[in-house]
Parts: sequence; structure tokens; C-alpha cells
Amino acid sequence: MNRLVKEKVFLISITVLSLLAILPLFHILFSVTVNGLPVLVKGGFGFLTGTLASPGDGLGGIGVAIVGTFVLVFLSSLIGLPIAVVAGIYAAEYPNSAIGRLTKTLLQIMLEFPTILVGLFVMQIIVVPMGNYSALAGALALAIVMMPYVAVSTEEAMKEIPFTYREAAFSLGLTRFKVVFRVLMGMARKGVLTGILIGMAKVAGETAPLLFSAGGASRVYFMGIDKPIGAIPLLIYNLVQQPYKNYHQIAWGAAFVLMLIFLAIFIPIRLKIKEVKI
Amino acid sequence: MRARKSKDRGAKKIETAIETAIETAIETAIETINLNVYYNSNHVIKSVSLQIPENVVFAIMGPSGCGKSTLLRAFNRLIELQENARVEGDIKLYGRSVFEMNPIEVRRQIGTVFQQVNPFPHLSIYENVAMGLKLNKLVKSKDELNRTVEWALKKAALWDEVKDRLNDFASNLSGGQQQRLCIARALALKPEVLLMDEPTANLDPIATEKIEDLIYELKKEYTIIIVTHSPSQAARVADFVAFLYLGKLIEVGPVEKIFENPAENLTEKYLTGRIG
Ligand SMILES: Nc1ncnc2c1ncn2[C@@H]1O[C@H](COP(=O)(O)OP(=O)(O)O)[C@@H](O)[C@H]1O
Ligand SMILES: [Mg+2]
Repeated sequence: MNRLVKEKVFLISITVLSLLAILPLFHILFSVTVNGLPVLVKGGFGFLTGTLASPGDGLGGIGVAIVGTFVLVFLSSLIGLPIAVVAGIYAAEYPNSAIGRLTKTLLQIMLEFPTILVGLFVMQIIVVPMGNYSALAGALALAIVMMPYVAVSTEEAMKEIPFTYREAAFSLGLTRFKVVFRVLMGMARKGVLTGILIGMAKVAGETAPLLFSAGGASRVYFMGIDKPIGAIPLLIYNLVQQPYKNYHQIAWGAAFVLMLIFLAIFIPIRLKIKEVKI
Repeated sequence: MRARKSKDRGAKKIETAIETAIETAIETAIETINLNVYYNSNHVIKSVSLQIPENVVFAIMGPSGCGKSTLLRAFNRLIELQENARVEGDIKLYGRSVFEMNPIEVRRQIGTVFQQVNPFPHLSIYENVAMGLKLNKLVKSKDELNRTVEWALKKAALWDEVKDRLNDFASNLSGGQQQRLCIARALALKPEVLLMDEPTANLDPIATEKIEDLIYELKKEYTIIIVTHSPSQAARVADFVAFLYLGKLIEVGPVEKIFENPAENLTEKYLTGRIG
């Protein structure tokens, strides 16, 4: 009897604690939906495509920021993904070499590095010499933020492949390059893809690296990769600091859109992970 | 006088013809000369000198841990994937040292089937067999690729079971079918020698029998070197048997000789189940 009571108390307390732990997440999802969804409904399709409203003058649209986010994610992927995948494979292939160990350490540091410093670094090397904020600078900052996620998950996916498949691939008379890039990488593709999607989801929501690099835009969709560009998180950050009520509403709507984009990338990852089997 | 000389010459001719016939009849596929393998300082293969004739099934038997897999992997230099392994001595493939060849070439000519059944799980049945051909650029057209894949699957006695599901994942096949797929994958490269490291260790008796029948078929065209820890399997499939114990080659010879009249005490002890 006593034991049964103890077990019940234990079970209940674990359940309550777990609920407490995930409560903030639900609170975010809940409050963003409650405040953002009505804005999106009211603003309609124009909210997704239009340009920013004037202060106190309705909802307008966040199309510029949405386009900016997609351009930035695309450009940063273009810059970051190939380097990150190769770095991850290198770290997995040559774990004991000097470069391999250096790569690994570097990735660990990058993973923990304050993203605002990444923004400052890019400002120093690109924005200052060019004389203006640009999509390119923003994309580079995001690429730096994205790379360690992709590289580390690539490395882990490659390392998880049982040795026997490596042996099998070599036994077919393949060069090491072909073994790694044509056979084993295909085998690790789900892990690599997951890392890529997580990296993209991560940078789609980043603000800090863009503060001193992308510059922001709210009225012109795209001016070229050497010109300033907007992004949803950057827009939210700027709008909430304004004293206008309609800007706060737009910020909630933008937050809701950002959350949808984030979930649209994340839910497939969760579904994909389940079907991984070797 | 003249007649006598030409008669002599004729006899000589026949003699050399017989000699070459004997030589070619028992051509050596693989020969190891004073082979030693170490993992770091651990001496695992100890001065093994072996001759493996062509087109036979040659079994290497011995208790677990005696170095069978290591010896097998030395033949086609797969052992070099182990960073801590060091090989001394020589290995010859049809008289040519494998250490003077490109390891890639060696592995194409000496295929491998592993103990752990390991078709590539992310590839289809077809792609598993086609992979080596495509990446090595051994076929010139899609058509030739299709024909070679079919040929290899037939050789591995798997074609009839998979011809309607070539695009299925290899992981959907039964264990025995997967192992025959691995045999097809190796055969597709048209090797001369096939190494099999305990190919039936993870299979049920029926699947094992199928693989053993297949081995019997394949020896007409290939030299098969099979590692087994089961003397009864060696007796069933092999023409020649080598007994390896603690890294040393204890005895080697025709299967009847080894099983009926072993020269070494250790061999007899092993065969009667008193060691290993
Ligand atoms: N990569 C390795 N590093 C160190 N020792 C190894 C390695 N592989 C095998 N060994 C050791 O070498 C010996 C022979 O192994 P192995 O060739 O696998 O034997 P078998 O195939 O006969 O069971 C064993 O003692 C084993 O522990
Ligand atoms: Mg073994």
C-alpha cells in the first residue's frame, strides 16, 4: 500500500515537472498564435506580400521582410552548406589528424560563439570596406552561424555508419573519395539533411548576426546582394521598439509568420527522423 | 642417325608440354610468403606461407580470434583500413605482388563477402549490384549495366527471387537473400578470387545450405577462399583446408587428408572439439 502511494506520488511529480518544463514553449506558441493569427487574418494575403505601413496607418504588409528572409537563408546556405558538409566529413574521416582536430575544436567554439559577435566580425570585414549594409554581409553572418550545426550533425551522421559498410565500399575497389562521397554520404544523407534543415531553421530566426550586417529594409523587396536587405526577425526587433500600436500588431503578425516558417521546416525533420533505420 | 635425333626432339617436346600442362593445371591464385601481421605490437599472423590453387574452394578454419579475418583481409589489402595494422612479408596474386599493385586494382580482382551481412541499406537491390560497376566506370552503357547486374544476380542464384522487385530496398530481403546480394555485388566486378569471411555465421540452416550450394557452383570459375570457425562447414564445402591456430599455420592440405589423417596433433584436437 505504502509502496503504491509512493509510486503514485513519484509519477505525478514527474508529470507535473515535465509539464512545467514545456510550459514556456506552449506559452510562446499560444501567445504568438493568439496575438498574431488575428493580424494575419485581418491583413489577409496583402499582409504577406505588401510593404510596411506608415505609423498609425493600418497593417500594410511584411512582404519585404519575408522576401529578405528567404533570400538570406538561400544565400547563407549557398555559402555555408558546402563548406560545412565538407568540414563535417573531414572531421569524421580524419579525427586524429591535426587539421581534423582543429576543425572539431573550431566547430565547437563556433557552436557556442555569441552570434552578435559574428555580426560585428562581418561588419568589420565586409560592411566597413564596402561602406554599406548588404544582403551579402547578412548572408555571410548567417552562414557562419549555420555552419557548425550542419558540420557537427554531418560529422555525427558519418560516424554513426557501421564500419562494415565502409569495408564493403572499399572492397569494391573504390577510391577513398568515392567511398566517402558516393557511398557513405548517401547512407548518412538523412542525418546530413536533418542538420541542414536545423541550420536553416536556426538562421531563419536569427536577429543578432543581422543587426550590423543586413541593415534591414521595409519598402523595397530586393535591391541586389550588395544592398541592404530586410528579414522577419530584424523587422520584429525594430517594430517593437516603436511607439505605434499598429507596428506592435504588425510585429505580432510577423512573429506568427516566422513561427509558421520555423514549424514548416521543423515538422518534416521530426517526421523524417522517425523513419531513419540502418 | 638423323631419325634418332628427331625422335629425341619429339620426346623432349612432349615432356615440356606435359610440364606446362601440369603447371597450368595447378596454377597458384594466391601465395603468401612469410606473412606477418601486427596490430600495434600484437603479433596476430605469424610467418604464414601458403599457396592457394586456382578454381578451388580453400577453407581457412580455426577457433575464434586466431587471425582468420585478419589473414583474409591481408590478401586484398583491406587490412590497410585498420590504422594500427602492419603487414610484413609478401602476397602474390597470380605471381604478382599485391604490394606492387594499386590496392584499388587488387580489391577489384579479389572480391570480399563479409560475416556481417552488409548490403548498402539505403540502396535498392539493383543499385547495390550496380554501384561498383558505375563508380568504377566498368560499363559503357545503361544497357550493359543492366545486363551485368542481371548476370551477377543470376550467378549469385538470386535473380529469380528479385527480378520483379529490383527497386526494392535491399534491407527488405531476408538475411540469406541479402548475403547472396552481397555475393552478386562482389561478382559484378568480375573478380578472379572471392574471399568469404564466415559468410553463413549469421544465417539460418536453410539459407546456409543455399550459400554452400552456391559456393560449389562458383568454384568452377572463381577461386574461393572461405573462412569458417566450423570444421563441418569446411568439410562440406572445401577442396583444401588450412588450420590456423593462434596466428600460426598449423597444417594445410586436401580436405580428405586433413580430416581423415591430420599430420599434426593440434589439428586432430581441434577437429575432435578438444580446442576452440
Ligand atoms: N583492429 C584491430 N586492432 C587490434 N586488434 C585486433 C583488431 N582486429 C582484430 N584484432 C585482434 O587480432 C586477433 C585476430 O582477430 P581476427 O583476425 O578477427 O580473428 P578471427 O577472425 O579468427 O576471429 C584477435 O585477438 C583480435 O582481438
Ligand atoms: Mg573473424
